[in-house]
Parts: sequence; structure tokens; C-alpha cells
Amino acid sequence: MRSISKPISRIIHRADEPSLVKRLGTVHWGSLAAALALALVGVFTVNSATSELGSGFVARQSAWIFLGLVICALALAFDYRKLIDLAPIFYTVGLVVLVLILFFGKERGGARSWISSGTVGGQPTELVKVATALLLARLLARVYRPQLQLREILAACFVVALPVTLVALQRDMGSASMFLPMLAGMVVVAGVRWKHVLVMGLLGLVLVAGLWQFALHDFQKARVMSYLSPDADPLGDGYQVRQSKIAVGSGMWTGRGYLQGTQSQLRFLPARHTDFVMAVLAEEQGFFGVLLVLGLYGVFLSGAAAIAARSRDRGGVLLVTGLVSVIAFHVLYNTGMVIGFVPITGIPLPFLSYGGSFMLANFLAVGLILNVDYRRYVNR
Amino acid sequence: MQLKRHRGELARRMQLLHRGGLVLLGIIAFGYWQVQVIDGSIYRERADHNRLRKLAIEAPRGLILDRHGTPLVENVPSYRLELDRTRVSDLGASLRLAARLLGETEEALRDQVEAQRRVPLFRPIPIAEDLSLTQVSRFAVVQLEHPEFEVRISQHRLYRYAHQTAHLLGYLGEVNEDELRDSSYLRSGDLIGRKGLERVYESRLRGTRGEQVVVVDSRGQVIEEYDREPSSAGTGLNLTLDLELQQEASRLLQDRVGTLVALDPRSGAVLAMASSPSFDPNLFSRGIAVDDWRNLIENPKDPLQNRVVQNTYPPGSVFKLVMAAAALATGKVDPSESFFCGGYSVIYDHRYRCWKRGGHGRVDLRGAIEGSCNVYFHQMGVRLGIDEIARHARLFGLGRKTGIDLSGERGGLVPDSRWSQERRGTPWYAGETISVATGQGPLLVTPLQIATMTAVFANRGLWVQPHLSTAARIAAPQRLDIAPAILDQIRDGMWAVVNEKEGTGRAVHLEGVEVAGKTGTAQVVQQATWTKNDDLAPDQRDHAWFASFAPYDDPQLVVVVFVEHGGGGSSVAAPLAKPIYEKYFEADLEDHPPG
Repeated sequence: MRSISKPISRIIHRADEPSLVKRLGTVHWGSLAAALALALVGVFTVNSATSELGSGFVARQSAWIFLGLVICALALAFDYRKLIDLAPIFYTVGLVVLVLILFFGKERGGARSWISSGTVGGQPTELVKVATALLLARLLARVYRPQLQLREILAACFVVALPVTLVALQRDMGSASMFLPMLAGMVVVAGVRWKHVLVMGLLGLVLVAGLWQFALHDFQKARVMSYLSPDADPLGDGYQVRQSKIAVGSGMWTGRGYLQGTQSQLRFLPARHTDFVMAVLAEEQGFFGVLLVLGLYGVFLSGAAAIAARSRDRGGVLLVTGLVSVIAFHVLYNTGMVIGFVPITGIPLPFLSYGGSFMLANFLAVGLILNVDYRRYVNR
Repeated sequence: MQLKRHRGELARRMQLLHRGGLVLLGIIAFGYWQVQVIDGSIYRERADHNRLRKLAIEAPRGLILDRHGTPLVENVPSYRLELDRTRVSDLGASLRLAARLLGETEEALRDQVEAQRRVPLFRPIPIAEDLSLTQVSRFAVVQLEHPEFEVRISQHRLYRYAHQTAHLLGYLGEVNEDELRDSSYLRSGDLIGRKGLERVYESRLRGTRGEQVVVVDSRGQVIEEYDREPSSAGTGLNLTLDLELQQEASRLLQDRVGTLVALDPRSGAVLAMASSPSFDPNLFSRGIAVDDWRNLIENPKDPLQNRVVQNTYPPGSVFKLVMAAAALATGKVDPSESFFCGGYSVIYDHRYRCWKRGGHGRVDLRGAIEGSCNVYFHQMGVRLGIDEIARHARLFGLGRKTGIDLSGERGGLVPDSRWSQERRGTPWYAGETISVATGQGPLLVTPLQIATMTAVFANRGLWVQPHLSTAARIAAPQRLDIAPAILDQIRDGMWAVVNEKEGTGRAVHLEGVEVAGKTGTAQVVQQATWTKNDDLAPDQRDHAWFASFAPYDDPQLVVVVFVEHGGGGSSVAAPLAKPIYEKYFEADLEDHPPG
């Protein structure tokens, strides 16, 4: 039975080669649905957050979402395994761009990372992140053991260290730190030994201490210090956390009502439409609104996890893991930062925060995740 | 197979990560629940505190008007600079800027801030008063970069008639820390009545501060009004004072040290009350300068003192009115009984002088009052004894406060044997009674007490409480236990003082209005020999008194003049009363041109 069933099933499979539509029907769309729902919530929240800043924000945000869907579809068009194969090229191009930015970039918000091409600004760091995920997937997928060896772990670290260093040199610590959850997620899923984790942890600690001592700028240190004692200096660095917590807390169960948040509308909240968009939502929609958004992120995560679980190869699992890790970490860090769980860093909230390249990068990630699911049966 | 097994292993780890992510999401949700649901109301309050700013609406202080409705004190707007310390990012820089814009030193401003350290942080503190328009515009220019500075319009008191009403109206002063502690209403920088009517009627004049609640944005700009509780202005105070009479009184006392009181004996309403020297209460309106303050308190003539109620003096011969009333009421003397005055009397082996060296000759009661004969009243003293004198003095309101609506009134002293025993620990000496009989010795009165006492004679036995405001709580008039007929005998003597040829108060004689009165010359030092007053040092000269009322038949005005170390009551005090009567009875006197 067993020996026959296999070839037969393969034959049947081939004979029943499903149509494109039918195959698309088998894809787990939950993640995309959640992402779209979140983006929609984001448009409304950005509208409220920018009511004092003038028009154009909603239109641009909507355009980016639309563009994001196009990119998502494009990402679905190429086999992810091809993309993984081409990863070294993407990665190299990405690094070159980062180096160029370092010399020609414009400074914005204390960080030097936007390239200005005409009117549309872009943040290539987001794309380099995807390229790095692809390269890591390629690297780690070729290990045919249940657990990685130290050599391979170090190789993965090196792959991540290059873009991290370049981004950190642009003084964009938020983006730089986002490579680490990707690395950690992929390495853990690829399999690590506990002693390796320990060695890595120690190395990381030394690295962090070294960064604090030599690489961090004063304003970055101040941010960390203000996290540790937000009430120490009401008009200094603790200001943002305080205002953000006041906004969130004052929403209570049902919120102040759309466009009624006093913290948001009277400009007490910093970066209302970008990093602190969650505070606006929490103030105006209350805890119920927060639960809805967190629930949607839960749906997104679960959908991605389900896709990873039924992916046909190591590369697929790893790629999904890397991409989802970054998004999940963004979500957890940003929502935690808004209520003062973690220090304030320029980490936006995926699908909700206003911002073009971030939106596009996230929909690109969604497209790649769906790509893995779409090609889970066939080998072409 | 190998490949698939590893993939499964990877997928299992991925599921673990996924669950970990969901748990973290749950923790985040719990965090929001904590902030929004558990602490939600606290944060909502903070949000309101963020956006809502309470601005005090100062209540205009009540005006004080004279009996004809002429305002004696007004409120004048002035600009005041306040510092909102919750918006200060660098106090040093803020103060440096303010010092530069104000033209003051940074240290002075720092002291101001330091002095108000205990004021709650959210409440702006005043750091400069009375800004010029130029200074106001300078702060307007830097307003965006320095939202910590606020220029508020405040009111300060303008005392129109400065010196002339200073002791009556008093002045305002900034609340001190003790008062701030005891009052929930008062705030740092508030001015409250410190002296005079401003102090007595503080709660009436003050009114109630209102509050405007406004919505502000993060830059402190007012977006809209949220709530408003209007202030209610202080209630005005109508005085019984007659401004013209008061001004006349002040003018008369210029360059003198003394008092002038004019009141309506029918009601006790004070029409004029001047104390000299005086001061300018406007100095206090914006916080008095150190130098000005020192000048006031170091002045030996003590201009801050309201001599009408706050100082006590020996009444001198004016007291003879009380002596006469006591002697008649107790039947110790018959009005027609006469005594011989040879310029002195010898009692208890001691010589007591009459002021008239040559003596008055034979005098009865009327003559004794008219000529103010000491010898006559020495005899009355002997006959009455100190306790009987004291009892009658108290009947006329001496020895206790009149209860006028002014602060710091003193009660004076009416000595008797019990007082001597209790306070001095020695028995009363009979010889002292002779001194008291002519208004000397330990006896002390305020000029206001003499005025109310005079009113009793004018009223033929009705005591009225003097008061300055129609809002005063006025004690009901009291009828003295002395027959009006007896008082008429004394009133007759008082008429003689002014209207008879030999009267000591002849200087006040007016055609058309009959004035009655009594002069007094109170010795400041015991004199062993006769010394002309002019030869004495100024602070040893006699006090001059003149107590009077008019018209004789229907008294409408009591005038009491007192000049400290002025000399003779007859020559110094009495002439000062005349212009007051002339002014008051102007209409009646027009028919009787002087001369």
C-alpha cells in the first residue's frame, strides 16, 4: 500500500494540476486580511492624528497601501526559492545603497537614512532588511542538520552585522536593532544549542556595553535614561512617555471618541501619526480598540505561523520566520513603548503608522509569506 | 525523508515562537488594560490637567465712598508679570531674560521666586508688578519661546486723597505665609487689608474671585473656554465721612501733631477724623519700598499711628465736664455754691495751682466751667473721691473702647482705688484724686473718647456709638443715669466757655451758630514752678484740647481738637475748631457775615 500510494498520488497530483485560481484558493489569506484591516484602521487613526497638521496624509497613506498591495502581488509572482537563490545580489546592492546613504543621505529626526528622489522619500533600510532575510534563509536552509553549528551561527551573525553596522552609523538605532529579532528568530528556528545561545548572549552583552560606552550618542543615552525614570524631568526626555501614557490611559474602556482625544488633538502627543499612532488609537477608541488591533496582529501572526508550518522546505520556514519576527518585534516593541514598557526608539507600528517605505516593506513581506504558501505543493 | 523531518522540526520551533509571540501580545494587552482600565481615571484626570488651565478672575475690590458718594479709593489696572514654573525648562535662563527685559537684576527676581517656594507648582507666581507698556510689549515678543511668562492685568488701590484719609482707609499688604496657611481662599501675592477700614471690612470689600477654565494645547495656547465661574466684586463701603470736612480737618492739622474729630452727636456718625502727621497709603499699593518703609517707622512723630483711637493722652481740663456732672449727680455741690479761687488751693498740706495765677475770685459751677477754674474742681475732687469720679467717667464712656469700626483702638485708663491696688500694688493716694479732678494723673483718654463724651453732653445724656461706615454694627444709644437737667447746667457752662467774654473758648465764637465747648490744657510734665510753655522743650509742652458741639439748642456737630504738645487749649486748639463749624454750617452762617 505504502509503496504504491506514493507514485500514484504523484500521478494524481500531476493529473489534477490545479488551475491558478484554485491554487490561489488554497493560500492562507488570513495574514493579508489582518494586514489590510490594520491598514484601514491605520488610515482612520492617521486621519485623526493629523487633523491639525493639514491635509494629504490620508491620501498618501492610502496610496501607499494600494502600492503595497501591488508589491504584494508582485512578490507573489516570482518563486520565493528563486528569490532566495538571488539573495546575495539583493544583499550586495542593499549594502552599496547603505554606504551611499552614509555619504549622501539627508538627516531627518536625528537620523540619516532617507534618500530623497524627487518628491517621494524612501527608506532603503527596509528593503535591505528583506534582502538580509532572504540571504539568511539561503544560508541556513543549506544546513541539513536539526541543529546549527557555531560556525554557521557566526556566519549568520556576520551577514546581519554588516547592514546593522551601516544603519547604526546612520544613527538610526531603531532600524538597526530590528535586524536582531530576524537573526534570533531564524537561528532559533534553524536550531541552536543552549551553550551557543549562552555564548551569543555573552557576546551580545559585551557588544551592548561597548555600544553604550563608545557608539551611542548622548541623545540616545538620554532616551534610555528617560525610560528608566520617566517622571524625573517632566519637560525633558520623560515627556513623551508621560504624554503617551496619559493619552492611552485617558481612553479608558471605550475611548474619548473619534477625533475627540485631547492628548492627540491638542498636540500633547509627540509623533502622533507615526511612532505613537497606537496612543492616538488607544485614547480615542479605548481598550476595546486596543484589543481589536492587538487581536488583528494575533491573527496576522497565527496566519504566518500556519503558513510556516505547512511550508514545503526549510527555506520557506526560515524566510517566513525571519519576516514575521521583524514585524512581530515591531508590533511588540512599539505597543510596549507607547505604554512605557520599553525605551522610546523610532520604531513604527506595522500597517498602522504613517510612512511610505515602511508600509511597502511590510506588504512586501506579506507577499513573500503568501508566496511560500502559494508554492507549497509544486516545484517549478 | 531527511529533508522533510528537518522541515517538521523547524516548523515545530516556529510554532513555539508563534506561541511565544501570542503570549507577549497578551502581556501587552494586559499592560494596556492596566493603564486604561485600572489607572484610566487617573490618566484621564491628568489629561484634563494637561489641557485645562484655571485662570483666576480677580474680583474688583469694593470701593469706599464718602457720605455724598465721592469715591475715596479706586481700583486702577496695572500689569503684573507672572511666572508659570511648570513651563520653565531653565530657570536661570528665564530669569536672566526677565531681568534684562525688566531692567532689574537676576538676583532680585531669584529672591522673588525663592520667597514663593512653597506656593503649589501649578500656580503661577508674581515676580514683577506694575510693568510699563514697553515692558509688556517686550514680554509679548518673547511669548512663543517663553510661555512660562504671563502678563496679567491686576488691580491696585489708588487712594485719591492720600494723606487726608490715610488713617481711616488704611492700606493693603501682601498676605504672609501664616495667613496663606490659615486660608484656603488666599493665594500668594494677594493683597489684603492691613490697616484701617480696609482691614476691618476686608471680607466685605474683597469679593469672591472667579475662575475661568480654558482648554490649552501643548504650547499653552488657549483654544477655547471650557468653563467660567464669574467673580463677584467686593461690596462697596459707604462712609459717614464728609470728604470736604475731612480735607478741611487735614489742612488745619498740617504741620501740627494732633487730631481733629467731627461727629454727628445724634447718630455717632463720624464726619471727619484726622490724625497728623499722616502718610501716603499709595506707597503700600504696589508693595512699599524699603526706604519708604524705614522713613515711616523711624519717624519719631510716628505718622502711621492713628492718634484718634490708637494713642491715649491726659484729658486735662476737658475732664472737668465729667467732674461737674459727677458732683451734681451725686449732690455733692449745688450749682449756685461758690468757691474762692486765689490761684491755688492747699489740700492735704499740699499746694495745687490754678492755671490762672491771679485766681478766678469767687466762682460757681458755671463760672468754674467758663473759666476752667482748677481750684473749684480740686474741691469737687475732694468731695467726690476717686471711685465716684471713676464711676462717672465710665458712664461717659471713658476707660473703654468706643467700638468704632477701626482696628487698634485703645480703651484708655480710668484709675480708681481698685485699679491702684491691683495694678500698682499700692493704695490710691488721696492727693492723686486732686490731679485726676483736673484731668491729670494716671487718667488717659483717646481723642475719640472725648468726642463721644462731648456728644453725651450735646445729647443731654444719650450715649451714641461712633462709627465710620453705614455698614458698621452700631450699638443702640444708651441713656445715662444722669438727669438731663443736671447736664443742662453743664451745657450752660459750656455755652459760656465760647460765648461769654471771659470764656476760654471765645476763639470759636460764631455769629449765627451757637457753639458750646470746653478747653483743656493737659500737662505733660509735673511742674514745680511756673514756666511759660514756650520755654519748655517741644516734647514737654502741654497738650491742647478743645471739645465742643453746635448748635447749642439742637446739636448737630461735635468737634474735638487735640494738639500734641500744642500748648494752651484756648489759644491753640479752640481756633482750629472754628473753620470746621464754618464749613459745616456754611449755609446758616451766610446770613451772619463774620464781624
